[in-house]
Amino acid sequence: MKYAGLILANLRRNKLRSTLTGGAIMLAVVLVCLLLTMPAGLDALLNTIASNTRISVHNKAGIVYAMPYAFTRKVRQVDGVAAAVAMTWFGGAYEEAGRVTFPNFAVEVEHVGAVYPDYNIAPEQLADFQRYRDGAIVGRQTMKKYGWKIGDRVTLRSTVWPVKLDFRVVGEIPNERAPHFWMNREYLDEALKAQGRPGLGIAGIIWVRASDPEKVNAIMRTIDDMSRNSEAETACETEKSFFSNFFGSLKGFVTIVLIVTGLVALCIVFIAANTASMGVRERGPELAVLKAIGFGRRVIFSTLLAEAMILSSLAGLTGVFVAIGCTRALHTFSGWNPSLGPLGSFIVTAPVIVQGVFLSLFVGMLSGVVPSFGAARKPVVQTLHEVF
Amino acid sequence: MDAKPSSDDRAPLIVIQHVSRRYVRGVDDIHALEKVSLSIPTGHFVAFMGPSGSGKSTLLNLVSGIDRPDEGDVFVVGQRLNDLSEDELAQWRARHVGLIFQFFNLIPVLSARDNVALPLLLTHLDKAERRRRAETALRIVGLEERFDHYPRTLSGGEQQRVAIARAIVTDPDLIVADEPTGDLDARNAEAILALLRQLKHDFGKTVVMVTHDPRALRFVDDAYHLDKGILLEGEEAERAAEAIRMAAGTHAAGAHVAS
Repeated sequence: MKYAGLILANLRRNKLRSTLTGGAIMLAVVLVCLLLTMPAGLDALLNTIASNTRISVHNKAGIVYAMPYAFTRKVRQVDGVAAAVAMTWFGGAYEEAGRVTFPNFAVEVEHVGAVYPDYNIAPEQLADFQRYRDGAIVGRQTMKKYGWKIGDRVTLRSTVWPVKLDFRVVGEIPNERAPHFWMNREYLDEALKAQGRPGLGIAGIIWVRASDPEKVNAIMRTIDDMSRNSEAETACETEKSFFSNFFGSLKGFVTIVLIVTGLVALCIVFIAANTASMGVRERGPELAVLKAIGFGRRVIFSTLLAEAMILSSLAGLTGVFVAIGCTRALHTFSGWNPSLGPLGSFIVTAPVIVQGVFLSLFVGMLSGVVPSFGAARKPVVQTLHEVF
Repeated sequence: MDAKPSSDDRAPLIVIQHVSRRYVRGVDDIHALEKVSLSIPTGHFVAFMGPSGSGKSTLLNLVSGIDRPDEGDVFVVGQRLNDLSEDELAQWRARHVGLIFQFFNLIPVLSARDNVALPLLLTHLDKAERRRRAETALRIVGLEERFDHYPRTLSGGEQQRVAIARAIVTDPDLIVADEPTGDLDARNAEAILALLRQLKHDFGKTVVMVTHDPRALRFVDDAYHLDKGILLEGEEAERAAEAIRMAAGTHAAGAHVAS
C-alpha cells in the first residue's frame, strides 16, 4: 500500500497515453463481454420461447417433408399426451409485402389453444377462432408491424398452395416477440377441395404437449416407435431442441466471432505491452536512481506491474459497466422496437462480468510483466551506464 | 537527523584494498581501476578528481555499493561489499548510503516532499513519520518553502537541494555525490558544495564526491586524484592538485572579472 502514491502518480504521468491505452483495453472488454453474452443469450431466448413439455413431431427426413394427417389422431392417444395439434406451412405472402414476411400455418383450431396454454390467448378469441372458418390468430409483433387490429381483414397469397385466402383477425398472441399467423386448417382444406384437389391430407409438424415433463422422453420414444417402418418415420424432439437446431448455424457464427474477439484481445495485449515498454524506457533515468537509492528488483518489478494492472483493471471494470449499459439499453429498446427482438435477451451475467474482469487483468499482467521484468532484472550499474 | 561531531581520528568508514575493475566494451577490455587502495575516515569530505575515463566514477560506484570489484576488497561501514548479492547491496545502500546525481533525477510527478520521502518507502516508518522526516530534510537544505513544489517549478539549484535532502533523509552513514555541481551555475555550485560541507560539519557525515569542479578543493578535506584507473600518489598527486588549483585560480579570476 505504501507504494500506492508512487504508482498512482506514475499513472497520471502521461494522462493522454494512459487514457488511450485504457480506452483500447476498455473497448476490447466491451466487445468480449457483448460477444460472450451471445451463447447465454441464445439459451435465454430458447428458454423464453420453448416449453419443457412441448414436443415437435416431424418427418425423420426433415421438416420440409410432411406426415399423414391421420397420424395426429394416433399421437393424441399416446399415454401422457395432454394435447396435440397438426400444423402445415401455408407460406402466405401478405399482399403489401409481396413475400413471406412472417411464419404462417394452418392449424387445428380446436386443439391449438390446449397445446399453447403458455401463450395466454384470450379464451373468447380462441372461441372466435373456432367459430369463424376464416378466422386468424396473429402474434403481436406481426400485428404491430402491419398495424393490424382484431376485426381487420387480411389477404395472404400462398407460395406453397395454389390459393389466395382472405382472413378475419379474431385474436392475438399477447407476446411482443410473437410473429406467428395461425389460420383454420379446414378453411385451407375446403379451398383446395373447391379447386378439385384432394384437400389437405398432410401435417408438416405435430406439436404435442405432454401432461408432465417427466413423460416427455417416453412420449417421444413411443411416437417414433409407432411410425417405425412406415412411409413417414418421425423424429421427435423437444421444442428447445427443435429451435436450437435453427440457431445451430448461428452458434457456429458465434464461435467464429469469439475466435476473432480473442485475436482482437491479443492485439490489445500487444498494444498495451508496447505502451508499457515505452513508459519504462522513458523513465530509464528515474528507475536507475530508484535502484541506486536501494529499491530492490522485486519492488521495481511489482510497482511497474501494478501500474499496468491497475490501468487495465480500471479499464476492464469500465468496459464491463459499459457492456452492462449496452445490453440494458438493448433490452429496453427491444420493448419499443420489435425488430430488435432477440437482442433484448442478451444480458451480461455474473460469469460474463467475471470473464471480462479476468480478461482485463490478463491483459494487464501480460502487457506489464515483460517490460517490468526487463527493467527490474538489469543490475543497477548497467542501468546507470545506459542512462547517464 | 542526529547532529554528530566531526573527528579525524575515527576508524575509517571506507577501506579499499588493491581493487581492480575491468569492463568489456565491444572487443576492448577496459581497465577502469588498477590496484587502488585507500581509506577514508568517518566524517571526512573527500573528492575523487581526474580527467574523464580516469576511473573516478567507477571508484565511486564501488564505494557506494552500486558495483563490485573484480579484484580486491571494499569495506564500507564495516561491511565487505564483495560478498553481497545485487538485492543485498540494494538493501545495504538503502540503509547506509545517500546518493546525489549530476542531473538531480527527481520524479517529475511527485512533489519535493514526496521525492525526498521516496527512500523512506523502504523503511517501516508510517506515512506521517515519512512526511515529517522528509520535511525536516527539506528544511536542512533550506527548502522549507518548497514542500509542495513539483520539480518543474524548481530551479536547478533547488532541484539539487531536493536531491540532497533525498540523500540525507534516511540519515545514512555515507553520502555519495556524482558530479553534484556539474549541471549548476557557479553560484549554485558553490552553495551546493557549502551545503555538503555543512552536512559533514553539522551532522558528522562522510561525504564522497566525484567532481571536475576545481572549486571543490576549497571545501573538501582530501582530494584523491586518479588517472587511467590508477590512484596518483606522491609527486604525481601533488602535480595534479596544483594543476587543479591553478585552474581554480583562473576560474575564480575569470568569475571576478565577469562579476
